[in-house]
Amino acid sequence: MPLEIFVQVLLSGVLLGGIYALVAFGLSLVYGVAHILNIAHGTLLAVSGVVASLIYLATGWHPLLIIPLMVAPVFLFGYVFHALLLRPLAHRGKHDETIGTVLITTGALIMLSDLTGFAAGTTQRNIPVGSGVFEFGEVIVPTAQVWILAGILALTIVLQLYLKHAWFGRAVRAVTQDSLGATICGVNGPRARALTFAAGSGLVAVAGVLYAIVYPVDPYMGFSLTVRAFTIIVVGGIGNLPGAMIAGVMLGVAESFTAFLWAPKWAPALSVILLLVILVLFPRGFSSWKRA
Amino acid sequence: MSLLKVEALQVAHGPLQALWNVDIDIRAGEKVGLLGANGAGKSTTLGAVVGYYPALAGAVHIAGEDVTRMATPDRLARGVALVPEGRRLFTEMTVRENLEMGAYLREPRRKLAETLEQVFTLFPILKEKAGQAAGALSGGQQQMVAIGRAIMSRPRLLLLDEPFIGVAPIIVGDVMRALGEIAAQGVTIVLVEQNTHRALDFVERAYVIENGRTVLEGSRDDLIGNAAFGSKFLGLD
Amino acid sequence: MTKPSSIAYALVALLAVALIPLLGGPYLTSFVFALLISFVLAQSWDWVNGQMGYLNLGHYAFYGIGAYAFAILLTRDAGLAVSFAGAVAFATLAALLVSFPLFRLKGDYFAFATLAIVPLCELLANNLDWLTKGSDGITLPPHYVLVPAFYAALGLAALTLLVTLGLMRSRFGYALRAIRNDEQVAEVAGVRLFPVKAAMLAVSAAFAGLAGAIQAWQFSFIDPFTMFNLGVALVPIAGALLGGSGLLMGPLLGVILFASLQQLLLVNITHLQGALLGLVIVLIGRFLPGGLLRWKKIAAHPAFAWLARESHFEREMTAGGPAAGALPISEAVIDPERIVLQCEAATMAFGGNVAVNRVNLTVRQGEIVGLVGPNGSGKTTLFNLISGIYTPKSGRIRIDGRDIAGLRADEIAHLGVGRSYQIPRPFGELTVRENIAIGRTYGRHKTALPDAMEAADSIAAFVGLGDKLETRADHLSLQQKKALELARALASEPKLLLVDEVASGLSTVEINLFVQHIRAIRDRYGITVIWVEHIFSALSQVVDRLVVLESGSVIADAPLAEAVRDENVLRTYLGSAHGDGRTAEARP
Repeated sequence: MPLEIFVQVLLSGVLLGGIYALVAFGLSLVYGVAHILNIAHGTLLAVSGVVASLIYLATGWHPLLIIPLMVAPVFLFGYVFHALLLRPLAHRGKHDETIGTVLITTGALIMLSDLTGFAAGTTQRNIPVGSGVFEFGEVIVPTAQVWILAGILALTIVLQLYLKHAWFGRAVRAVTQDSLGATICGVNGPRARALTFAAGSGLVAVAGVLYAIVYPVDPYMGFSLTVRAFTIIVVGGIGNLPGAMIAGVMLGVAESFTAFLWAPKWAPALSVILLLVILVLFPRGFSSWKRA
Repeated sequence: MSLLKVEALQVAHGPLQALWNVDIDIRAGEKVGLLGANGAGKSTTLGAVVGYYPALAGAVHIAGEDVTRMATPDRLARGVALVPEGRRLFTEMTVRENLEMGAYLREPRRKLAETLEQVFTLFPILKEKAGQAAGALSGGQQQMVAIGRAIMSRPRLLLLDEPFIGVAPIIVGDVMRALGEIAAQGVTIVLVEQNTHRALDFVERAYVIENGRTVLEGSRDDLIGNAAFGSKFLGLD
Repeated sequence: MTKPSSIAYALVALLAVALIPLLGGPYLTSFVFALLISFVLAQSWDWVNGQMGYLNLGHYAFYGIGAYAFAILLTRDAGLAVSFAGAVAFATLAALLVSFPLFRLKGDYFAFATLAIVPLCELLANNLDWLTKGSDGITLPPHYVLVPAFYAALGLAALTLLVTLGLMRSRFGYALRAIRNDEQVAEVAGVRLFPVKAAMLAVSAAFAGLAGAIQAWQFSFIDPFTMFNLGVALVPIAGALLGGSGLLMGPLLGVILFASLQQLLLVNITHLQGALLGLVIVLIGRFLPGGLLRWKKIAAHPAFAWLARESHFEREMTAGGPAAGALPISEAVIDPERIVLQCEAATMAFGGNVAVNRVNLTVRQGEIVGLVGPNGSGKTTLFNLISGIYTPKSGRIRIDGRDIAGLRADEIAHLGVGRSYQIPRPFGELTVRENIAIGRTYGRHKTALPDAMEAADSIAAFVGLGDKLETRADHLSLQQKKALELARALASEPKLLLVDEVASGLSTVEINLFVQHIRAIRDRYGITVIWVEHIFSALSQVVDRLVVLESGSVIADAPLAEAVRDENVLRTYLGSAHGDGRTAEARP
């Protein structure tokens, strides 16, 4: 393979992986703090992407303007969804709680897809922002993609700093690591969980807008993103954002090369197979192996 | 006036009732033990005082104020701190971060730097290890972090749940002495401890809990002199 | 259900359903056909969830695999019988294949990994064009087969119900329920986990695969979307949960309700059927964790109570239960030279925390050894090493001369190690009798289930639970649960019994009774006992020898009379106040 093409495929993989990582952040926080495996996570991205593309179509606003417009309602949706449906499950036994969570988030997946498909149609959409290109010799990268990647990196650093240093960020980490310990420090666990669930939803709205700029979205594409996000947090460690970033980029690059060297239709299989292989080798997650 | 008053407290864990009738009355400045067998309800009592377990019936008063229906953060804000069984540290955070989490509520947060120095004076080893992950420390050092974290909230009532589990014998004395210093500064201490002799070395007074009920209360000397207590808990025949 | 009237009702119901194609017309026939297929899916899923406690979200994949295998074989002229057999074989094979990775996972992880299998199958069906014709799907030769397909589905549904009934009453079924309640305890009680779990998943997949094949036969067209679409993959699961997972009639009732609802939506609503289905699934998840049949108002209603009943082993009993007599354990002559347990420098560490530190311990047959030490000194960890829950970091442990390195907990149980837990861990959803019978049937001598149930009664009587035989274990008091722990361990006829804290919370009279039990167990049946206990007055009545642990190390190992005079022991465990009330100096 010529070097330029190699670099081109690599770069598109890195970008793809960056967006995957952003999807995984939300799931990772929600799973780490609230212990909710949100099967509708990727679907929320798909819906956000579709809605954002409709807004763009109607108004022509800059995506940077659409992002805050999307985040607030999706954050609120996440908060209410958690408060009404998921929080009450905490009183159940473990198995019943898992069943309840799975049914509620899967039911939500079906509803979100169907309602969006009904209201906005099932066709693929995107946010076709005009963009120049950077040229590095033979390698051509659209400027929009470079900015998106830079934005994701900046967001990762801000999030990481917030979790590390802000009081509420620390409280969120504390709940992840030892819920009872956090409670006796004065952290309001249920509130931290609800806010984290809402924040995870808000993050996915950001990811949805960015995703729709680069790739087409439709109401039914979400679950394959959830699978990817789950693979990423299993590899990168639950609640570990830099780990998710690395794992996301690795997956994106691997998919990119699979699509190029073999066939695009096989790329989505990679995450599922990777997930199963990793779970066989490291049943308690990849990160437990790293620590040992 | 009593600092902590627990009246006819009942608590259930799901379908199983753990506390049936617990009565405790502790004045400011006291050092009091809660004794009893494993599973008797000592930890549940402490958990109910900080509001981790809701009361089925009965009442908890802190400094004369009824806190029975209050959430945990509000109770902590009234000056209670718990060193829980099993330490419950944030193992992937540093020692310093763990301690700072202890000052999470508004009042203690203002005096964070000052209290942190006090904790480091009490446990100098923690200052050396401040940047290390709490999970990497030895059992004794982790216990010091747990006590330090509780102190960070500047409590007037400190509840300790079996603070010597997994602590090497050689460290037990250090921890014991630190608790003595904390008490000397005017903090009221309630100690749950399996080793009755060790507990009676430290406390002035103790309650005995059996099957979720306070069945005996007395000063240290009373208890040592009590035949039934002696045969059951002190190995006296 | 075994009463003649129940069988008669079942036969009448079966006959009534069988008449539908003859009297009911094609609309009703195809509706009932779909219902039967749904029931097979829901019930075969519930074997894994309701009986075994594993939430398998990928069950639908086996249905699709069966359908595809059938269609591919049939279009290549393999013949109907071979095609059906192929569907079963492929679904079973797929289940066995994925069971290796999947059963290393638990809870959420298991659920999610299984869910990921559905889209993987869809992807394969779409991409393997040469085999599956990709997204075009496979069209079978057109034949009108609704009626034969209906009877095939009816037969399969009846078989499914029979298998469910069998599972509820068989030895294998009790292994499933033990796993559902507490997998680790099940293994320590002698259940070899993996074959049980893999077999159950395989059987469940075989039924789903056959259901898929019958569906494909009837519909004569399949494509990746209809076979592996996530939107419908959870419908049978939701049906089973709606009725009541784990109950004999739960999945059947749930599927009937759910399918009727779906049919109602189909007929009356043109849009948003998917969204409404999703809403129903959400509501089931939010409000009906145990299903309709476990909803108090229904379970207590006289008209429905028989549907909601849990299935437990029951038997007519004399008033007051069985008399406490001899245990159904063969008596043994004690050979005091025989070494039952030998630990050589056994060490266990968690991270940097050394919980058991180079422990040397030799226990001979017929000894009763008291193991004491403060909380956290490593007593329970040592028990976990001996019973195979942990593997020692270094050192060696021999049971009756056999090195247990590399043995699973169930193999160690079969060598003759029985144990109780400090915090009792009975199988909460099972009765006292069933708990003990599991210990028996999977114990050192494999016992048929009816014999194990028989033996359970006298063992229960021995520990004082003779009047609680048909009480669910999670309804017992703490002390009764502890007695049950002992009974379950005894039922396995152990050579070495590990008893972890039984006396706390007991009255003096009860303690004395328990001490008598321990003595009888040793004297009559030659069982060696290691007893962890904080209440010294209980231990001192019966133990021959005291072993003292402190921070993971043995600091004393001596006959009782000597041990209580040992300075180390006094200081760390009893405290030096022993005898005279002086205060202890904790520092060495």
